[in-house]
Amino acid sequence: MSPRRGDGRLYLGFVLLIALHFYVRPRLWDGRAAPDFLLLALMLVVIRTRPGVAAVAGLVVGLVNDVLTPASFGAGMLAHTIVAYLAAWGRAVFFPDNLLVNAGLFAGGVWLRNAIVLLASGTPGGQLAAGLLVWAPLQALSTAVAGLGLLLLFRDWFAIRIEA
Amino acid sequence: MIRSPGRVTSRSDTLLFSACLLLAVGAIALPNRWSLPLATGVRETALLPLLWLQERAEEGRTSRARFQAIQAQRDSAVVAAAALPALEIENQRLRALLGLRDRSGFTTVPAEVLHQAAPTEGRTLLLGVGRGTGARIGDPVMAPEGLVGVVLSVGKQSTIAMTWAHPDFRVSAVSEDGSVLGIVAPSQNTEASEAFLEFRGVAYRDTVATGTLVVTSGLGGVFPKGIPVGRVAGIRAEQLGWERVYRLMPMVNPGHVGHVLIVRAPSGPEPVP
Repeated sequence: MSPRRGDGRLYLGFVLLIALHFYVRPRLWDGRAAPDFLLLALMLVVIRTRPGVAAVAGLVVGLVNDVLTPASFGAGMLAHTIVAYLAAWGRAVFFPDNLLVNAGLFAGGVWLRNAIVLLASGTPGGQLAAGLLVWAPLQALSTAVAGLGLLLLFRDWFAIRIEA
Repeated sequence: MIRSPGRVTSRSDTLLFSACLLLAVGAIALPNRWSLPLATGVRETALLPLLWLQERAEEGRTSRARFQAIQAQRDSAVVAAAALPALEIENQRLRALLGLRDRSGFTTVPAEVLHQAAPTEGRTLLLGVGRGTGARIGDPVMAPEGLVGVVLSVGKQSTIAMTWAHPDFRVSAVSEDGSVLGIVAPSQNTEASEAFLEFRGVAYRDTVATGTLVVTSGLGGVFPKGIPVGRVAGIRAEQLGWERVYRLMPMVNPGHVGHVLIVRAPSGPEPVP
C-alpha cells in the first residue's frame, strides 16, 4: 500500500471517529463513563506524528472541548496538548503496534486528560477524588475497549508503517 | 505516516509544545467576558456542522428511546392542566378583590441538551437553540423537576447554560411555605464526592425541617418565583448565634437532563447574570 493511500485511510478513520463522537455516542450512551471518540481520534493520529505537531493537534482538539464545555476555558487545551505530546513521545519509548499497548495508551491518555482538566478547573477535593478514582478510570476503560474494537475492525487503516 | 524511528526530537518540537502550553495557560487566564464570545464564535462557525450532527442524534434518540416517558409526562400534564382554568378564574377573582395587579406570566423555549465528554460537563450545558428562539443571557433554565441554571451565553445556533453546579451560581430562594429566606449556592465542601447545594444565610432563629422544599423567591428579577431548587437534607454548618447553612439535595441532576426549558420573561431589559 502506498504511503499516500495509508494517510488517506488514517484521515478517513479520523473523520469516522468524529462522526462516532458527535452522532453515534449521543444516540447510544452519553454518560460520564461513555467512551471519548474525539480523544481516541487524537491519540490515533498523534502516535503517528512528531511531538510538536502532536502538541498542536492536541491544542486544537482541546479548543473544541473547551468551546463545547466552557466551564473552565483553557483547561481542555492544556490537558490535550500535554496528553498528545506525551503520546507522541511514548511512541519513541515503546512501539505501539501491539493492540494491548494501544489500549493502555488510550486508557492512560483519557485518565491523564481528565486529571489535568479536573485539576486545572479547581475541582474540590472530594469531587476530584471521585473523578480520578471512579469516573476517569471508567471512561478510560470504555474508551480503551472502544479503541480496541476499532483497531480490530480497521486495523489496516490505523496500522503504523515506518518510512524507509 | 510515521517517520523513521531513532531520530532525536528536534528543537522545533519543543518550541511548538512550549507555544501550545503558553496558549493554553493564556486561555485559562482569560476573563469570561473574552473567553465566552471567543467560544461562541468558534462554536458558531467551525463546529457548526458537528453540532448539527449531534442535534440530529439527540432528536433521533428522543424520538425512539424516550418516546414512552414523554408520552406519560404529557398525559400527567394534561390531567393536571384540566383543573387550571377553574383555578385561574378563582385566582383572578381573589386578586381583583384584594386589588392586586395581574400576575405577570412567562413563556418558555424548549431546548435539547447536547452532552459532551469532558469531566467538567455538568457545570455548563450546551443547548441546541440559539438567539432566534428569543433566548437571552440571564434567562433561567429549568427542567420539569426544577431549576437547572441560567443562560450564560447565546449564539446564533447554540446556547451555553451555567448549571447550579458551577462555582459562580447563586439564586435567592425561600422555603415552600415562604417563611424562611436565603441564598442557594453550590457547596464548597471539599470532602463530598458529588456536587450538592447549600441554603445559606438562614437566620439562626429560623429552622427548616429536613425534607422541606426550597423554591426560587423571585427576588432579584432573574428567576421567577416558585421554581423548585432542592430539598433540605440536614444542617451543613452553624455560625453560632446568627446563621445556619442547610444542605440541599438538588431537584435536577444536570448530567442526566435531556431536555430543558429556557424561561423567558415577558418584557424588560436584559438582566446581568
